[in-house]
Amino acid sequence: MDLVKRYVAAVQRELPDNKREEIGRELEANIMDQLDAQAEQNGPLTDNAIASVLKAMGHPRQVAQQFAPIAPLIASEHMQIYRYTLFMVLGILLVLQVFNSTANWLEHDFGLLLFVKSILSGFIEDASFAFTTITLGFIVISRAKPQYLQQAKEWQVEQLPSLQASKQHISLQDIVTDLITDTFLLAVISYLLLLSPEDLAGKTVWLTAHTQQVLLLGLPLLVVGVLLSLWQLSARQWNKGMQLLNIVLNIGFVVIMLYLAFNGPLLQIDQQNWPQIYGWERLQHAATWALLIGACWPAYEVIRDVIRLRRLSLSKIG
Amino acid sequence: MTTAQLDKMRFELRRGVLVLAVLASLKQPHYGYSLRKQLQDGGVDIDEGTLYPLIRRLADQELLTSEWRQGEGRERRYYQLSELGSQLLAQLTDEWQNLNNAIGKLLLANSGEIE
Repeated sequence: MDLVKRYVAAVQRELPDNKREEIGRELEANIMDQLDAQAEQNGPLTDNAIASVLKAMGHPRQVAQQFAPIAPLIASEHMQIYRYTLFMVLGILLVLQVFNSTANWLEHDFGLLLFVKSILSGFIEDASFAFTTITLGFIVISRAKPQYLQQAKEWQVEQLPSLQASKQHISLQDIVTDLITDTFLLAVISYLLLLSPEDLAGKTVWLTAHTQQVLLLGLPLLVVGVLLSLWQLSARQWNKGMQLLNIVLNIGFVVIMLYLAFNGPLLQIDQQNWPQIYGWERLQHAATWALLIGACWPAYEVIRDVIRLRRLSLSKIG
Repeated sequence: MTTAQLDKMRFELRRGVLVLAVLASLKQPHYGYSLRKQLQDGGVDIDEGTLYPLIRRLADQELLTSEWRQGEGRERRYYQLSELGSQLLAQLTDEWQNLNNAIGKLLLANSGEIE
């Protein structure tokens, strides 16, 4: 019977502490009954016959999971938004790390291998922190009473969007992308503007006072952007007010970006310490072009939203 | 249809019905193995890995009562239908009979069309 004891112990090891003894005791009693029944039919059982019975019951881990199924840490209804959030945040961190490592590379001119190592090590460090924080956040959300259960009880067929209005559906991916981008920019710009003169003393490249003033004007827009994303998350459907707010917001972003691009210089550079391999004029040009290219996205959203708003108005007239 | 597909569909079909079969069998007290034997003798084959966790789940939902008893030189946990379980069994039995009648008619009608 040593095999039975070993099997039950193996199952118990996979069980939560509070269920281990009770389930183990019951499982052993059930197995012994089954072995007795077989012995009555076929005579005394060999170790091989006992092993066959136990094998037929399944792997101890599998049996333990059937007795005490493991609840997922993140609820399935949050899985999609969790995946988008991770994807977006890790993507932004990678881009940021590439920028950071490139700036260091230009300042200190180290080898290519060290440059790649700098990107990888910096990214892994940031990504580990971000992954842990996001996952813990979603675990806490999953433990809370699910709001969708209440919504599932209260919904009305008449409240479902019309077929025309289904074109006004806002995808979860778009909302999460906007929410994370706005939150991220809000955090980065606030951090940049709050740095003390001592922190700035060692910097070779920094934002001009003019750029900082303009960025300060962009902060309220980003706050509105975050609030708009939260509104979209609860409504999941474009309406006139939301469209208008998004248009105004994106026009604001385009204006700020174009103003910065055409009213430089954007950056102040310590030319004495700036490496000669890369001209500082080229850096200013690159920053200007980055702003111009960046402005294309909110400009596209303005055009898209104007078309949507027109469709929404037409469908209401129709 | 592949064997895997058929097995999956059989599993889906049997899953809900097994609860009914277990509740119906536990009008009399049974321990794990004796319940399995009774179900098997009645033509409902169910493996231990499914049955034993199912009984515990039903007991956790207070549909079954349980107690440890000593017998034949061994302790065994006996399960029996609780008051709540009896009420549920009556409702599920009605549901099953209605469903069985309705599906029986559908199957008969369709087999007539095929012929």
